[in-house]
Amino acid sequence: MENKNYIIELKNVSKIFEDETIAVDNFSFYVRKGEFVTFLGPSGCGKSTTLRMIAGFDFPSKGEILLNNKDISNLPPNKRPINMVFQRYALFPHLDVYDNIAFGLKLKRIPVPLKDENGNPILKLDKNKIKELKREISLTKKNKHLSSEEKETKLNELEEALKVAKENEVQAYKYKKLSVREIDEKVARALKIVDLEALEDRDISTLSGGQQQRVAIARAIVNEPEILLLDEPLGALDLKMRKDMQLELKEMHTKLGITFIYVTHDQEEALTMSDTIVVMKDGVIQQIGKPKDIYDEPKNAFVADFIGESNIYNATMIKEKKVRFLDYNFPCVDEFQVNEKVDVVVRPEDILIKNKGEGMINGVIQSKIFKGVNYQYIVLVGKNEVMVKTTKEYNEKEEVGLEIEPESIHIMKKDFTTNIYTDAWINKENEVMIDEKPFKCNILQLVEGGKFVDGEIVDKKNKKYDFNDADVVAEVALDKIEIIDDIESEDALIVGEIVDSVYKGDHYQYIIRTDSEEDFVCVSNYSYNLFDKVGINIKPEDIKLRLKKEVNNYEI
Amino acid sequence: MKFSLQRKQLCIPYFLFLILFVVLPILFIVFYAFTDKNGYFTFNAVVDFFTSTNKINVLIQSLLFSVLNTIICLVIGYPIAYILASKEFKTNYIIVMLFVMPMWINFVLRTGATRDVLTRLNISGGEHPYLATMIGLVYNYLPFVILPLYSTMLKLDKSQIEASMDLGCNRFQVFTKSIFPQSIPGVVSAAQMVFMPTMSSYVIPEILSEGKIVLFGNSIYIGFSNNQWNSASFMAIIMLVIVGISMLITRNFTEKEEGGRASRW
Repeated sequence: MENKNYIIELKNVSKIFEDETIAVDNFSFYVRKGEFVTFLGPSGCGKSTTLRMIAGFDFPSKGEILLNNKDISNLPPNKRPINMVFQRYALFPHLDVYDNIAFGLKLKRIPVPLKDENGNPILKLDKNKIKELKREISLTKKNKHLSSEEKETKLNELEEALKVAKENEVQAYKYKKLSVREIDEKVARALKIVDLEALEDRDISTLSGGQQQRVAIARAIVNEPEILLLDEPLGALDLKMRKDMQLELKEMHTKLGITFIYVTHDQEEALTMSDTIVVMKDGVIQQIGKPKDIYDEPKNAFVADFIGESNIYNATMIKEKKVRFLDYNFPCVDEFQVNEKVDVVVRPEDILIKNKGEGMINGVIQSKIFKGVNYQYIVLVGKNEVMVKTTKEYNEKEEVGLEIEPESIHIMKKDFTTNIYTDAWINKENEVMIDEKPFKCNILQLVEGGKFVDGEIVDKKNKKYDFNDADVVAEVALDKIEIIDDIESEDALIVGEIVDSVYKGDHYQYIIRTDSEEDFVCVSNYSYNLFDKVGINIKPEDIKLRLKKEVNNYEI
Repeated sequence: MKFSLQRKQLCIPYFLFLILFVVLPILFIVFYAFTDKNGYFTFNAVVDFFTSTNKINVLIQSLLFSVLNTIICLVIGYPIAYILASKEFKTNYIIVMLFVMPMWINFVLRTGATRDVLTRLNISGGEHPYLATMIGLVYNYLPFVILPLYSTMLKLDKSQIEASMDLGCNRFQVFTKSIFPQSIPGVVSAAQMVFMPTMSSYVIPEILSEGKIVLFGNSIYIGFSNNQWNSASFMAIIMLVIVGISMLITRNFTEKEEGGRASRW
């Protein structure tokens, strides 16, 4: 009973497509009534698939979707009180504005309870429900992704429900259309909400992008859905329009009181509009929280990197409430075990620039970019870059001091399942530069259906790409880093010192730190001593790459 | 200045072609339609046509054949095109080719073969002229319906179909309210490809009905070959007028749809 005000709840939902790709993996979360929830993540993270499952265009392979505590997992879209605003609006070009908006209303049938002459309710078998259950039974039988046990319990439940439905008569209804006047009134109200009152007779093709967008929203909200789904609805608008629409959507949400579920890859959009943000990556939820919490307390390096700009460093807890990075022991507020390896995130606007020698650390301003509201500096501290944003002006090559307040240092548990290198880039030979050393890698994974044609990277649509100098995030699993004993050998692509070793029952986990303070975490069955110099080798196919910018920036 | 001159010069061959093969023939037809054998102006051909029940009957029969053929071809071709354009077959051009390939065989030869097959099946032109002719017409014009419909079906906007489901359409309503309206341009151009050519078709009724059915095309041919140039020319003009009318009716449809389509992208 405790989840009474959850309007929609996803329980362990997975979606596995026919080609065995896992789009959504064990997804569980809920939305409260009236909330504005955003799914945020890079393209291909499963956010759209999740939305499509809520809308009913895709059905989950596993798990269930509950709407007001009722399982709707396999209900077709026309039977769900949910409406969607599509990415490219998907308006009907053969209808005018009025008919587009009235489309759903004209299809709507209002159930009226049937009564006999004496006013007693007429009872009949619920044919719709029986049909629905039969459909669900056949769908369950065909589902390849459920284990036979799961299948059996689900089938038993459904058969039981079918039996009950077949034996009991329930209140019968007749279905009434909405009258023309009712439709007129509702359309007029929807047009008013989206500010398009004068345009009802216009043809869709004569409308601007922004107006089409509004028609698409009106067409969805006019049906008074319990949940409104928005699939990157502002993607096709220009920047100015997008900002205006963001505020307007937010206002609409407050006015209508409907639950909004919004999908975007634009972190700023998510931060501006949402009550709750769900950050996703590879079909897995990374973090759920209020915008401010997610910005201030990102759970891992991926979230920190994806939401807003940030400086991310490998750090070590030196003492209680002291963390070491950038060759300095910073006081901090988070409590972690001493000597634990952690990730540190510092937002560029949280770093103060002082005169040389007056801050905690010293650095040289390497570059300066005017960003309108403030300046963005890259300050070189030792071998590390620090991004700083401030309104004050300094000159390039100037030596400055930097100070970071304890509250501004966000410490996160290190995610030791993979090594993530956020400042990797691609060189001319299509190798990935990690820690400024070249590693051979499979560059073709950056484009869909990529292959080499005459030495050029070509995707499945025959577009050519050049990734020279492209910034990427490189990921290597712990067990894919091989330790090479002979540091002189050719296999040793990079050389470092073992700075940490933990015995994990049947294997060791090492941290190998290079001269430039990049850490490689790896596992091995063999024992090494601390401060041993070793080499590292990574096979090309084990380096996972992700572009920092959209792929079309590299099209030629 | 130089550019415009060049353009004008480039137009010359086209204009010559237009005048020689389009404008002049039409002028000739008009001239013959309104003159007698000695070249004097007369309405004889007009009066002749509208008072001859025989010729009017041929016109009506041809129109009926055309309408029926168009409808049957659309009814058969539409589902085929839809299935061919669906996900399973989209990349399989061989199946599409199978439907289009009969067009590559010599037309007269193919019709002769059709006659022989039909005779084997006891639907010979001598005994069932109407049925045999209809089968021949549908068989010959089906590819012309499938191709334009297929190319519109390939372009169906999937998100519009999803939007209609989202707004409450069941499977049948998805078809009537989203898929069919979207495919109207294809239907219209398919109908155009069948309707007029059927009216003027000559070989198919001639061979398949063994001369028992005379369509408008046949009757124009008979006119010319019997040296009745004036009345045959007038029938050709009637034909032109019908083409014009059908173009006018369908133009509104396609233009509106195409316009909407273009501006959406």
